[in-house]
Amino acid sequence: MRQRMISRAIAIVLVVLVVIWSSVAARGQEASEYQVEAAFLYHFAKFVAWPAEAFPEENSPITIGILGEDPFGDALETTVHNKSIDKHPFRIVHLDMKSLAEAKRCQILFICPSEKRRLADVLETLKESSVLTVSSKIERFTQAGGMINFFIEDKKVRFEINDEHARRVGLKISAKLLNLSRHKETP
Amino acid sequence: VYSFGAATRRLAVALVWLSVSIGARADPKADLLATTDLTLLPPEKLLEIDVYSPSKRPEKLSETAAAITVLTRDDIARSGATSIPEALRLVPGLDVAQVDAEQWAISARGFNDIFANKLLVLQDGRSLYTPLFSGVFWNVQDTFMEDIERIEVIRGPGASLWGANAVNGVINITTKTARDTQGLLLTGGGGTLERAFGGFRYGDQLGDDLYFRVYGKYFDREDSVFPNGNEADDAWQKGQGGFRLDWDKTETSGNLLTLQGDIYHSIGNQTFNTFAPNNPPFYSETIHQDNYRTTGGNVLARFTHSFSDPSEAADERSDLQLQFYYDRSEQDSVIFKEQRDTFDFDFQNKFAIGWWNHIVWGAGYRSSADKIGNTPTVAFYPERQTTELFNAFAQDEITILPQRLRLTVGAKAEHNDYTGGEFQPSARMLWTPTGRQTIWGAVSRAVRTPSRAEEGIVLNQPLAPAVVSIYGNQDFQAEELLAYELGYRLEARKNITLDLTLFYNVYHDLRSQEIGFSPTQPIVAPPPPPPFPPQWVPTYLANGLGGDTYGLEFAPAWQVTDWWRLQPAYSLLKMQLHAEPGSSDTTTAAFLQGSSPQQQFSLRSLMDLPHQVTFDWTLRYVDQLPAFNIHSYFALDVRVGWHPAHDLELALVGQNLLNAHHAEFAPTFIGTQRTDVPASFYGQLTWNFGGKP
Repeated sequence: MRQRMISRAIAIVLVVLVVIWSSVAARGQEASEYQVEAAFLYHFAKFVAWPAEAFPEENSPITIGILGEDPFGDALETTVHNKSIDKHPFRIVHLDMKSLAEAKRCQILFICPSEKRRLADVLETLKESSVLTVSSKIERFTQAGGMINFFIEDKKVRFEINDEHARRVGLKISAKLLNLSRHKETP
Repeated sequence: VYSFGAATRRLAVALVWLSVSIGARADPKADLLATTDLTLLPPEKLLEIDVYSPSKRPEKLSETAAAITVLTRDDIARSGATSIPEALRLVPGLDVAQVDAEQWAISARGFNDIFANKLLVLQDGRSLYTPLFSGVFWNVQDTFMEDIERIEVIRGPGASLWGANAVNGVINITTKTARDTQGLLLTGGGGTLERAFGGFRYGDQLGDDLYFRVYGKYFDREDSVFPNGNEADDAWQKGQGGFRLDWDKTETSGNLLTLQGDIYHSIGNQTFNTFAPNNPPFYSETIHQDNYRTTGGNVLARFTHSFSDPSEAADERSDLQLQFYYDRSEQDSVIFKEQRDTFDFDFQNKFAIGWWNHIVWGAGYRSSADKIGNTPTVAFYPERQTTELFNAFAQDEITILPQRLRLTVGAKAEHNDYTGGEFQPSARMLWTPTGRQTIWGAVSRAVRTPSRAEEGIVLNQPLAPAVVSIYGNQDFQAEELLAYELGYRLEARKNITLDLTLFYNVYHDLRSQEIGFSPTQPIVAPPPPPPFPPQWVPTYLANGLGGDTYGLEFAPAWQVTDWWRLQPAYSLLKMQLHAEPGSSDTTTAAFLQGSSPQQQFSLRSLMDLPHQVTFDWTLRYVDQLPAFNIHSYFALDVRVGWHPAHDLELALVGQNLLNAHHAEFAPTFIGTQRTDVPASFYGQLTWNFGGKP
């Protein structure tokens, strides 16, 4: 009796699962937060002008450094794979605090949320370098000396920009990006 | 070929249809993303995409050198749990058993009982366990479920930080801040076991940084059933209300002041098998009570000053915290009455020395005063008592290799009125060889200090044809644990995580029930009526048991697709307890071994479906309990939620399905009735407007 009830229940669960599964239609335009942020990193490379010495060769890579615990998974590799901007291909390097010095040779440094405790050290190291510093959901990042910070608002990715910090090291952020940036409302 | 029956043919057709439909729609999201290179969208379009954040355990969790599980608000909501004990069923390795409509038995790593005494439970910094028996009256521990921010469960000792009684685990319930509960939320529903329930919460802003909320709730729970399916007449009702006020100047001055409080009252039916000294030959009388009452309330004030940048994670800040609370509880049954007033004062300070030392230290004082109404069945001597508890603790988290190796050493010193000073040290090592792997180990000592019951109880159990009396013992010592733990966590792929804990616990001086008279407790009550039954068995409590337990807890999680998550869990527990030489207790060791399940298994599935529908279920398996002659069982909880509008949710929940009813535990010490947990259904409507989702 008991066995029958169990097997019947399992059968019901299976049928329900399958029916639901098979009735799942494509959902709305929705993506992972980090897929969208990865696509933005690509656009940043496009809409930011670095000083000429950042690219010694015509085909020098655009290096994106990921500092800390990479939240992208495969998303960033997939996004920039086989892509280039003005003949500059993308290159991704993973860094930690020990290899921080290498960050100076990146064009974009993504500072992962895991590093917020060490944010001051990181930004101090990069004070003189033409590196676009980007972070995700680090409060007061742009006040602390960072350039671009992603945040989520109404389920959508937003970013705030501190253009002053970028100009100080010779980076020109296009007006288009500046217009799209928001101020994070501090609740 | 011709022998194919019609049924087989239908099955074959169905299978083909299934494979096609599954194949066609295996992963709609993957299709969408595979064909959509997001970089082809201009940045302004990217800003319009709805995103979800990959469900991942909070970062700090993987960096904890303990067997920790965190239930989030979402986990709890999607489980369909209507009470804190039901929510705790989601925690891998925790043993949660419902005894009757009102009573629960909850423990970790063995020793489960209605009067389980090796778990420390806190809610917003307030201790929920009673010094009466060092356990928790789960029926009165409640809050507005929608306000729970998280429930942290640590299996294993947490005594160096949390203090005595955090022997086999710590449960820490945190509610949301008033700022996070703004607006009006109305919820209500009903069903077969949850006959009717409803509640509201309203939060608003009073000033620049001043927020408050108030809530009220009520429920009416139906009877559980007897093993033969008849109603057990133990239905009960409870009303509760509360408030929270947060004056949050963290951003400007670093100061945060919280005031909160709750008040509750419940009334229910219960049937007791009582000791009746004038009712030979068995000296027992069954009394049905229809006004078993509990009443209580608490107020808590907490002041926190943060010295550092508020953008840092909460546990990285240096801060100072002062907390005071007062808690009152009353219960009134035909076999036992209790009033208790608890005052507690705590101080805590966190700071860093360099980047490698994170220190937290603190001290606390608690006084608990009670007044017991003795009956022939249950009595405590003296009838009024005030106990005091002093403690001081310190813990240092030392980073040996940045991001790789961390050592946490800590100790708590405590002084209690029963055994004097107790010292509870622990050392924990955390090694993260790669960003995706964590290995941790810990050695801890923890004690369970004596409770009021062990010192001064007189409990007469009419167990026809005998009457067994249990007497307290003023020489009762603390129970002691030495625990060795080893844990491994792996983020195998970005969508698969594994969490494995092994433990080996060595216990000394566990409570035993010795035959004879207590060496310290005078045999004061009740006067044996002539002729007292010859089968009268006097016993007293002592520390005559020891032994070890070992086991594992395994909790992987698999994000199958971005809309479907599977969480299996398995736990194994082996207990090898024995009576020490000189002990006359021949039954308790076997009883303890047989009252916690050796194996538990669960599978949880969480699905986000189109049209704002969520579909979630949990299948649970719990091993047999030979001590109560309770069979192993499977149970299934199912919940379907639908958000027709973003501020409205409809939910249909089925709980404890698969069997019409099943037994999970049985009464101990106090003779209430053995009942089964019936399968049940309820529907719920929640309207959340004006507030954050």
